[in-house]
Amino acid sequence: MEKIRIMIVDDSRVSCAMLTDILNKTNFVVCGTARNAAEAVERYQELCPAAVTMDMNLPDADGIECSRRLRAIDPEAKIVMISAMRDASLIMKGREAGISSFLQKPVSENELLDTLLVLCHDRAGTISVLRESYVKTFVKVLRKSLFSLVGVHSKVELEVDADDYLEVDGVAVIIGLTGYPMGRAIVYMDQATMMKFSRVLLNQEEAELDETDASDAVEEAANIIVGRGVSKINDVFKDKEMRITPPGTICGVKIRIANSKLTSFRITASTQLGDICMNLGFAEGE
Amino acid sequence: MDAKLVNPFVDALVTVMPQMGFAVPKRANISVCSQTTKSLGVSVIVGFTKVLRGNVVYNMTEETAKFIASTMMMGMPVAEFDDMAQSAISEMSNMLTANAATNLAAMGMEVDISTPSLSIGADFQIKISNDTYLVVEMDLGGHIMELDIAVR
Repeated sequence: MEKIRIMIVDDSRVSCAMLTDILNKTNFVVCGTARNAAEAVERYQELCPAAVTMDMNLPDADGIECSRRLRAIDPEAKIVMISAMRDASLIMKGREAGISSFLQKPVSENELLDTLLVLCHDRAGTISVLRESYVKTFVKVLRKSLFSLVGVHSKVELEVDADDYLEVDGVAVIIGLTGYPMGRAIVYMDQATMMKFSRVLLNQEEAELDETDASDAVEEAANIIVGRGVSKINDVFKDKEMRITPPGTICGVKIRIANSKLTSFRITASTQLGDICMNLGFAEGE
Repeated sequence: MDAKLVNPFVDALVTVMPQMGFAVPKRANISVCSQTTKSLGVSVIVGFTKVLRGNVVYNMTEETAKFIASTMMMGMPVAEFDDMAQSAISEMSNMLTANAATNLAAMGMEVDISTPSLSIGADFQIKISNDTYLVVEMDLGGHIMELDIAVR
């Protein structure tokens, strides 16, 4: 099995030696070390490590500034901060700079290994955990909700969405997911489906319905569906409080919503009104 | 919505952008809107929830988005608004909203933020609130970035 490459940023030889000692006994390998921020930037580009351990105090900048520079080069850089202090303000600032985890010195061997393992978790494992624990709940909720809201039966398909973009011609309701796992849900459909769906939902099959009313109706339905999904998940995982943000709704033609950098799933419900789709994207390593 | 809630977002821009190599952003214009906003080409929505619930949209033209991405990547030329440039803009939106969340927490209003959603298109509308929301135009070295802020 290929070893996972870690870079250490720390100005202390002793700390570097201790971390190297812990990591090299395992499935990790220390591919390089940097003594200061400038060196870290240079070596990161050269080594492309899977993750970085970061000391807070460096001679030329602090660990947060150094992390910010690394994330500017690679917005996906996975960084674990190891510092003597671990207060809320440091964590807040660190999170803004893109640091994923915070460990306190002296670092415990197991804590360090677990943190790095989660951070470098392989993609196949991540997909199966997300699919089984979260996405399948949304599949059931979508099918049931479409029946209870607009009385349609649907054939629902679930697949990993590896496309770079969601192409939307019609309406997309974006609802953020906070807590764990963090991400977003997007309920979307084309213009014709939106009109049919909203007429049935609002029980105005004959009336003229304008697009604003139609997209409002879809927004409301999406909010209900995603809300139900999240409640079901919270019922099962009592320790993980997922919450939803208010919906943001976009309407128009030829809209592309970026889908890269997320682990995404597409649920397509084929109904007599048209296809009603849901994309669930989860941020990795958060 | 309460106008004082704009400051945490504006302050985030003023704090974070210079750290990434930009001139200090200036507030160019502020207005109250209802209904929908027209996307300028590139729009990133970030939602938040907990003590306050709402959305913030970072709305800009593709030109501005490319300028920002290029500056963030240490002046690397950005000819196409490609995957890397989009990723920089998403990251910026995440950093700005996280900083705004810190500012809100300091005012006693803790929020958790969602993953940013970046949308691109020549012709689309965004609705982030059923009520009124605030639009702040920020001047970023001659480029305008529009912030739409809705809190409920």
